[in-house]
Amino acid sequence: MTDISPLYLPQPAVINEVIEENSQIRTFVLSFCDREYNEKFTYLPGQFMMVSVPHCGEAPISFSSTPEEPGHIRLSVRRAGRLTNAMHRMKKGDVVGLRGPWGNGFPLDDMVGRDLLFVAGGIGLAPLAAVIRTCIKKRDQYGRISIIYGSRTPSDIAFADDIAAWGMEKDVECLLTVDKAEPGWDGAVGLVTSLFDRADFAPGKQTALVCGPPLMIRAVLSDLGNRGFADEEIITTMERHMKCGVGVCRHCHMDGRLVCADGPVFSLARLRGLEVMELG
Amino acid sequence: MSDKLILKKDHLTTFLRKLSKEYQLVVPLKNCHGDTLFTVIEDLDSQPPDLVNQPQNSLKEFMLPQQEVLFTYKNSPGDYSFSPATVKPPPTIFFGVRPCDLSAVLYMDVIFLQGRTDPHYLQKRENSVLIGLNCNTSFADCFCNATRHGPFLEYGSDLQFTDLGDRFLVEAGRSRGEEIVRKWGYFFAVAAKEDRARKYQVFLEARGGFARMVHVDQAIKRLREKKVDDSVWHELSLRCQDCGGCAYLCPTCTCFTIIDRPVDNVRGERLRSWDACTFAGFTNMAGGHNPVNAATDAIRQRFMHKLCYDVKDHGRPSCVGCGRCVGICFGGTDIIRFINMACEGI
Amino acid sequence: MAGLATTFGSGAMTNSINEIENAEVILATGSNTTEAHPQVARRMLAAVDRGAKLIVIDPRRIRLAEFAHIHLDIRPGTDIPLLNAMMRIIIDQNLVDDLFIDMRTENYHQLRDMLYRIDLEETAKTTGVPLERIKEAARVYARARKAVICYCLGITQHISGTRNVQSLANLAMLTGNVEKEDTGVDPLRGQNNVQGACDMGALPNVFPGYQSVGNLDFREKFEAAWQVRLPEKTGLTLMEMTHCGAEGLIRGMFIMGENPMLSDPVLSKVEDTLANLEFLAVSDIFLTETAKFAHVVFPAASFAEKTGTFTNSERRVQMVRRAIDPVGHCRTDADIIMGISERMGYPMGHESPVEIMEEIAMLTPIYGGMHHDRLESGWGLQWPCWDRGHPGTPFLHKYYFTRGRGRFIAAEHDPPSELPDKEYPFLLITGRTYHHYHTGTMTRKCSLHNRECGEALLQINGGDAGRLGVRGGDILRVTSRRGVIRITAEISDVVKPGMIYTSFHFSESPINALCIDTWDPLANCPEYKVCAVKIEQGEVA
Repeated sequence: MTDISPLYLPQPAVINEVIEENSQIRTFVLSFCDREYNEKFTYLPGQFMMVSVPHCGEAPISFSSTPEEPGHIRLSVRRAGRLTNAMHRMKKGDVVGLRGPWGNGFPLDDMVGRDLLFVAGGIGLAPLAAVIRTCIKKRDQYGRISIIYGSRTPSDIAFADDIAAWGMEKDVECLLTVDKAEPGWDGAVGLVTSLFDRADFAPGKQTALVCGPPLMIRAVLSDLGNRGFADEEIITTMERHMKCGVGVCRHCHMDGRLVCADGPVFSLARLRGLEVMELG
Repeated sequence: MSDKLILKKDHLTTFLRKLSKEYQLVVPLKNCHGDTLFTVIEDLDSQPPDLVNQPQNSLKEFMLPQQEVLFTYKNSPGDYSFSPATVKPPPTIFFGVRPCDLSAVLYMDVIFLQGRTDPHYLQKRENSVLIGLNCNTSFADCFCNATRHGPFLEYGSDLQFTDLGDRFLVEAGRSRGEEIVRKWGYFFAVAAKEDRARKYQVFLEARGGFARMVHVDQAIKRLREKKVDDSVWHELSLRCQDCGGCAYLCPTCTCFTIIDRPVDNVRGERLRSWDACTFAGFTNMAGGHNPVNAATDAIRQRFMHKLCYDVKDHGRPSCVGCGRCVGICFGGTDIIRFINMACEGI
Repeated sequence: MAGLATTFGSGAMTNSINEIENAEVILATGSNTTEAHPQVARRMLAAVDRGAKLIVIDPRRIRLAEFAHIHLDIRPGTDIPLLNAMMRIIIDQNLVDDLFIDMRTENYHQLRDMLYRIDLEETAKTTGVPLERIKEAARVYARARKAVICYCLGITQHISGTRNVQSLANLAMLTGNVEKEDTGVDPLRGQNNVQGACDMGALPNVFPGYQSVGNLDFREKFEAAWQVRLPEKTGLTLMEMTHCGAEGLIRGMFIMGENPMLSDPVLSKVEDTLANLEFLAVSDIFLTETAKFAHVVFPAASFAEKTGTFTNSERRVQMVRRAIDPVGHCRTDADIIMGISERMGYPMGHESPVEIMEEIAMLTPIYGGMHHDRLESGWGLQWPCWDRGHPGTPFLHKYYFTRGRGRFIAAEHDPPSELPDKEYPFLLITGRTYHHYHTGTMTRKCSLHNRECGEALLQINGGDAGRLGVRGGDILRVTSRRGVIRITAEISDVVKPGMIYTSFHFSESPINALCIDTWDPLANCPEYKVCAVKIEQGEVA
């Protein structure tokens, strides 16, 4: 009898801290209950975990933490369906199940020595935060870092403390914009693309990492293309309904590709020719 | 397939009886309503296997059950723990498996065992022996000749039977088949030259005997070249009655869903069960956004997967030409209809 | 029921479902067939594939309309003017089947005189359909050698429901489109055994087999068999019972497999009735909204746990066999009824479903030849099936109508009791969705069905939505003169401007709280299909 690897069996993980990022997004700081497992556990920014919540099944959630800070992981969760709503009701000390890491992760090695441009909208900053944290940890390996982040309103700005901290780092620039201003907001108003003229773009020596709602991704990809970025220099990460996370159940199909196994990180070059919602 | 042997038809029941002492036996059986189904056989004497009619189910039902428990969980404040499912399937011989259904198992092997091994599939698969039966005559909706999965199987079974009238030609394909032939060697005689010639004759007749002409290759080409008009998808989507019957009966439709079934407040099971990519909810994301347009693209996914993506990824279509979806579909959106629509005007 | 019973003498599908496939013309009206009767729709589509012409009458651009050669998108509740216009055109164009009318029908002159009085242009205007299209539909239908009319609740759930059906029967008789195979008038039943329930006398005025309570011979027959005195008076209809209110005549009720707390109009009135009963017993497989009011709940066995028969739309009686033993304390319906009966001092003593079926066969002439041993193999038998040797009846009214001659009963336009106005500007139509069954008692417990359709969606036309600033997924408050509900918007051009549509499956959006409590005076069927509402954005306060 072959030894059965626990492909679908989650590992219990305890919630150490719940950070309220905004009214819709919470970041859960977790560590595995099994100490040995927790110590050995590692992952790549861009990968995701299948998160189990009692009686609610599983949902894929990207890491927003960096593997450079081992011992705990961060999963940032936006309230959308039954499982994520149940998770938002969970507190410090509660236990979830985690299975993973699954997916491919961002091509960090290819990015070494290059300038980095991060463009995110809403919860889309979560997977990019994993990369940003990693790059800041290894600051000398990468060039200039520009972060452009769009939210619906100023009170919807998630990861505000992180953004403030990143902005203090050397050669890191953070630009924020909101769809709709609120009293007291003197920053930019408009889509993320409206900030593009203010950022320093250097196609050829810069890699753009993009994550956000489908319509934003579509607008950003086409704008970056117009500004001279090659398809290989534009990296995005996709979100789909998932069940297995390991390339079998096919719920996350995307014109012959599976987001869980072939992605979720794709360069624009890999997406070209596919019929994908995010490309229009 | 190496050794060619002969088993007299008169000795088939005796042979199966010997096998049934060591294995659970699954064969096509006609039930009291006249339906032929792959069934665990309890009593060989009451009813012989039905080797005349096409079983309505396929081996998918055994390898990827309609519903199976992946694990059980316990949940109380501060605790949420998981225990693997412990059911172990008995060693099982599947007898009378047609080339289409056998090819389907080989396809499932690729899906579930290549890359990350699916433990639940592996457990059943490694406990199974597949005895194939070549098709001398095709059934009403078959077109395995066009998908190149039949009517005779070239490789993949443990033992492969060909009906030569009063006897079967038996070829051992894999080591498990050879073991069986060795262990019960006294059932078999070495095939004569005429037997082999006869097999070839039967094959030629079978190949020429298909009632339907289905242009699978043409459809594959047109899909690859993106020449299938949007109006085809639109009409198929309108007609599809969203019953999922095609996917459930299809021996290679392996898409599944995973759900939690609470047993009580503190315990539950995680189940996986069959799903169908033609359902709108298959791709619907939490919050209601759906990346697939249900009005046109859900049914497109079904045919693209079978006839385009799998050809690209695995070298041949995952439609094995069994024709079951043709019989079950009541909207008129089965794969033959699609292929005919896709090839219209060529 | 009353519509076909008064014109043909029998209130059931005149054809078998399979026959629809062979028709040359299919007129589908008030039936969202692909969603509600997919197995009937498949025959319609197959017929279209073979060259049949499909006429769809429906205010919405339903999926079936996409296959239609002629779609008559009438204003809701204008079926009678439309059918009258078609009949007038048929007379004007000399497409009437005179021989059939002479030989087989009566009272034609009444219809003809009425039709001669109508003004076609005016009538067309009432329906909202261009006259030319009505003319084409009339010609196509009348010229067919084999034409089938399929109708469903879109015809009957109006205050003019019975007269709508009578008008359809008029149309069929006018053109001789009954009495033959592949030709007739077919009401599609809403539930798998609603036909069987009616057949077994679950109606206020008849014993099993439509044997009138008022008829002494029938009464004596049943009294002799059951050894009890039976009431001479007709009973109450559903609406009369569930809407009788706190001061109603009814003190106790036994409800089996029915969920009026979600399915009946003006739920506040139903609640008022149920909450004030001295005693309520409910038997169902799950604890329904209705069962929550009960003093006693009987856990009933599901279809898989019992043996018996179901009778479907086409009068086909089919066996259902016990696949698993009743779970827990569940008991079969027969067990529950007999158990209660015994405790009330009347032991029935049936030992098996076979024995019950024997009694049915003995007392119910149309079921005279239905016995379990005959039903066990094959696909069952269609009534009337008079005796053991009878093969069953695929289509009705061959040679003569059940009532002798088919009777023309002329009907004139009777507008819905509540139409949109300034205050309540939208016309609300209610119906069903593909994934859920009735009040969702069963289907809403199934994860896959809930995934596919997890909430009620209010279809609203893109133009109206734009004007109101409503986007898909928005939460809306829909108010009528009777109630208010919360529901999610779905922008859809299936509905025309001024019209909204949703289903009644969801207790979170109990649409019947809005519906009007007027009903067809002849059949007591509520007017679920038309009422006036207003729409606002936001949650219910």
